[in-house]
Amino acid sequence: MKLNWMLALVFGVFSTGLFAQNNDIKFEKFTLDNGLTVLLHQDKTTPIVAVSVMYHVGSKNEKPNRTGFAHFFEHLLFEGSENIDRGEYDKYVQNAGGTLNANTSWDRTYYYEVLPSNQLELGLWLESERMLHAKVEQKGIETQREVVKEERRQRVDNQPYGSILEQTFKRAYTEHPYRWPIIGYMDDLDAATENDYKTFYETFYVPNNAILSIAGDIDIAQAKKMVEKYFSGIPKGKGPIYRPDIEEPAMASEIRDTVQDNIQLPAVVQTYRIPAQGTEDFYAVDMLSRLLSNGESSRLYKTLVDEQQKALFVGSFPLQMEDPGVTIAFGIANMGVSPEEVEAAMDAEIEKAMNELISEKEFQKLRNQIENDFVSQNSTVAGIAENLANYEMYFGDANLINNEIDRYMKVTREDIREAAKKYFNKNNRVVLYYMPKTPQP
Amino acid sequence: MKKLFLYTFLSLFCVASLMAQDFRKSAPKPGKAKRIQLGQAEEFTLKNGLQVIVVENNKLPRVSFQVFVDVPVRKEGDIVGVSSMAGQLLNKGTKTRTKAQIDEAVDFIGASLSSNANGLFASSLSRHKDDLLTIMTDVLFNPVFPEAEFEKLKKQTLSGLAQQKDDPSAIASNVANVLRYGIDHPYGEIQTEENVNNISLESAKKYYNTYFKPNISYLVIVGDISVKEAKMAAEKYFGKWQRGVVAEEKFEEPEKPGSRQVSFVNRAGAVQSVINITCPIELKTGSPDVVKTTLLNNILGSGFNGRLFANLREDKGFTYGAYSSMSSDPLVGYFNASASVRNEVTDSAIVEFLYEIDRIAEEKISDEEVQLSKNFITGSFARSLERPQTIANFALSTARFDLPKDYYATYLERLNAITPADLQAVAKKYIDDEDMHILVVGNKGEVAEKLEQFDADGTITFRDAFGKVIKDEDNALPEGVSAATIVEDYINAIGGRDAMKKVEDMTIVMSTTVMGQTMQMETMTKAPNKMKMTAKMSGMVMNETKFDGQKAKISQMGQNVPVDENTNKEMRQQARMFPERTYLSDGYKLELSGIETINGKKAYAVVVTTPSGSKTTEYYDMATSLKIRTVMTQSGPQGEVTVTNDFSDYREVEGFGIKIPYQTTSTGMAPVPITLKTESVKINTGLEDSVFEVK
Repeated sequence: MKLNWMLALVFGVFSTGLFAQNNDIKFEKFTLDNGLTVLLHQDKTTPIVAVSVMYHVGSKNEKPNRTGFAHFFEHLLFEGSENIDRGEYDKYVQNAGGTLNANTSWDRTYYYEVLPSNQLELGLWLESERMLHAKVEQKGIETQREVVKEERRQRVDNQPYGSILEQTFKRAYTEHPYRWPIIGYMDDLDAATENDYKTFYETFYVPNNAILSIAGDIDIAQAKKMVEKYFSGIPKGKGPIYRPDIEEPAMASEIRDTVQDNIQLPAVVQTYRIPAQGTEDFYAVDMLSRLLSNGESSRLYKTLVDEQQKALFVGSFPLQMEDPGVTIAFGIANMGVSPEEVEAAMDAEIEKAMNELISEKEFQKLRNQIENDFVSQNSTVAGIAENLANYEMYFGDANLINNEIDRYMKVTREDIREAAKKYFNKNNRVVLYYMPKTPQP
Repeated sequence: MKKLFLYTFLSLFCVASLMAQDFRKSAPKPGKAKRIQLGQAEEFTLKNGLQVIVVENNKLPRVSFQVFVDVPVRKEGDIVGVSSMAGQLLNKGTKTRTKAQIDEAVDFIGASLSSNANGLFASSLSRHKDDLLTIMTDVLFNPVFPEAEFEKLKKQTLSGLAQQKDDPSAIASNVANVLRYGIDHPYGEIQTEENVNNISLESAKKYYNTYFKPNISYLVIVGDISVKEAKMAAEKYFGKWQRGVVAEEKFEEPEKPGSRQVSFVNRAGAVQSVINITCPIELKTGSPDVVKTTLLNNILGSGFNGRLFANLREDKGFTYGAYSSMSSDPLVGYFNASASVRNEVTDSAIVEFLYEIDRIAEEKISDEEVQLSKNFITGSFARSLERPQTIANFALSTARFDLPKDYYATYLERLNAITPADLQAVAKKYIDDEDMHILVVGNKGEVAEKLEQFDADGTITFRDAFGKVIKDEDNALPEGVSAATIVEDYINAIGGRDAMKKVEDMTIVMSTTVMGQTMQMETMTKAPNKMKMTAKMSGMVMNETKFDGQKAKISQMGQNVPVDENTNKEMRQQARMFPERTYLSDGYKLELSGIETINGKKAYAVVVTTPSGSKTTEYYDMATSLKIRTVMTQSGPQGEVTVTNDFSDYREVEGFGIKIPYQTTSTGMAPVPITLKTESVKINTGLEDSVFEVK
């Protein structure tokens, strides 16, 4: 439950994977009467099972004066339930020899346990308790509020470059709820009342807003029975589920700013607005980002880090988001190099991608890298459970776990050049310089 | 009638739903436990002696190749670290490929390739395996160790060492090795800057030429490849690798201290103590006791469920985490328990550590505690089997350490057979709270004295950051010496009050090289307390700080940085020329805390508290009376950092009789220590007030 949302989302952007056709992942899908979607994947090679629930609620479903709720709930929902005492939730899992965790993004919240396979029922009991009647007491709220504040200090305030996402999003968006940080503003958490919590739980933590995804050493028929036993009695949500329908207007012109941080070396952060995940253009942008920064032979790395030695580190990360998102190009300057020099060198590489078609060989390299990454991402049952749930939640098609790669393979060299022209232009970006604060004497 | 029926129906329904909900009241019972089966590894040996381990697993169309060179344990002497440097240089260029060409070839097939002191690791989709093996074996057989890459790596290693100097956990881990094994044992060797500078490109090549031989190596192949294919690939790519003779050395078995021995490493200004309670143990890899000590250690302190964590963190709140480890090794194993605790609870924390170490040997552990711990280990074991690499690692250990063939297959059986009595027996056999090294890295003035009670002889052994005993640490202060006399002696040593009075302004230019770039710092001061400091990197102004006697102005790369009132207040003191002149007045507080050895010189340590309350420890050389070090705590990116400035090479400024240090080394402020050399000092050039003006 100690959340890895930030790193996971920046650096694990490609955590959605697939298999080559001959290694298809087989799964069964069904829906309970209360609207809960269930995905089952059998893999008997190791006697373990991953039990997970993905709720279709993230920071974008929050009200502007109650930010941080989705993530705060991720903490609260380890506190206990009608039948699980406070502090016991993780002990059940550990004593069974299992492990558990959770994370929150802009678009969804995800909980999972990996257990010995004879403890499947324990996992279902724990997750159904969380969905049916989680119990949140004042003491738990107060404790977790402090924990979240510590988390914010550790991950954002006290982490060099830790505020990049927050600083970027609040400038890249003016209307859309992506504009506030996932962890939220601490004042909002302080101001929340018990009724706020109740309403949030009753609105979003309902079976018709969730996907139960199970992968591992299971007997499909028996697993179905157990799922019905624990989940079919959970009532469907009563009200409508708030899904913001807010279109962020296009940027009028480039936004530039400077952020002072406790860092030693300046950094340049270029953020370009890009289309939502799953769109044709997203795949082209994704490939463009790999061209720029995947591997030591990639263009930004080779030029800025190895050859010119202007940057200590450089990377480009498209964020997969349900509504139109962003891609972040990030460079840390070497000692004695100004951010202007780093930015100029980054811009030169982007310009090159706009004006010159990439070679057939480089194109083939990208395709090979994509294939390798997809194949590798489903190496654990925990990974498979999460990927199935992701595809089902965002695209209504869990089978993309097997064939999303086709969408990448449709992208042409021309598409990549067009994506550079269309999205990597200066009027569509926020540029931040991260500068070292002067040490105070 | 109809109504009655409805009521009956309703009440039935209620009962049914109540019963249906009953299963929720408590956690469901587990099903029948599945047998945990281990995958199979195939093994064969090539003519040149290379042992090959193959774990076929077709779940994913991927394959990985690891070359593991089982370099015998050896002493590195005055070039500690040569092996890791040689290993990292392997993939930086071959006879036919530059680093860029290696990167390009690896990336083109979406693969990965890395190298270290014990060989190489590479992975890719199985259909690219021939391309991958071609690059991998080129790197293995034809490395050229490029000079430029060697220099780059040396610099990185030195920066890494410099960072460690400031890191109490790194110091503790080094000194614990010295305590356990002694400096004559390979495990007691510590890398120093001197060692790194001693490493030559030739010595790195020699390491590679001596040890990278097939007859002491393993080739581990895991993934989507049949045993037949693996055999063919091994022959084709590794068959021509030439055998060589590799000598093995014997070393004396390190012994326990024989009684409780306290060692202390001083870190001026530290707010936390790093405690390590440790000893070597005669626990050889593959010994039947290993599974028992694993379980024992799990109960004592391997994680969040351990007794140490429960006691020192959850119950007492002394620390963020307290842990222990017990490790087996082909030569000699070790026990270690550790935590970082705040200064004032250092002794109490040691009491609790010793209590828990004693208790686990003396008191029988409950069946329930043993069972839960067994569950935890079993679960982790089962989860680890999901990766085919685990099976390969088991096979590799079985071969390397000559373990019984079914060592891992019967692991859980042996785990489950352990009784509380077994645990008590191994606890008594290996760990004794009366026979341990207690090592504390921390603030001597605030902590050390209270630790004498734990030492069998009642005396603490003080050591430097490399474990060397410091004999003079406890010198008594000479008669008649006080903070005031030390400061006055210093003032006289650099020229005296009269000479100082004649200085109206001073301009000092210093320079340093940081990652190949030259940085220049010019400091102008004018009596009583005006100052201007300019830092330039390659001609560009990075930072300019001005102080007009009242207000400061700071700009960073041309951007103004807001200055708060606190900063202004501090600057009033900082901007003074020769502030030591007013140490005895003006609200300063001085305290003489003792004698310490600084860079081999005995020095008085004086804690100076400024009128605004900030503290600095200053060290004055006993022989020359000159100030040779200052240590202060400042806020940095990771919270509090300790900044140490060392001064040396004092020279007289001609015509003025004032001595100025020509070398300053600052540690803690930047990721690497920065050594500033003084280029010029000019006095009384008639600096105008306008130079210091703040608008």
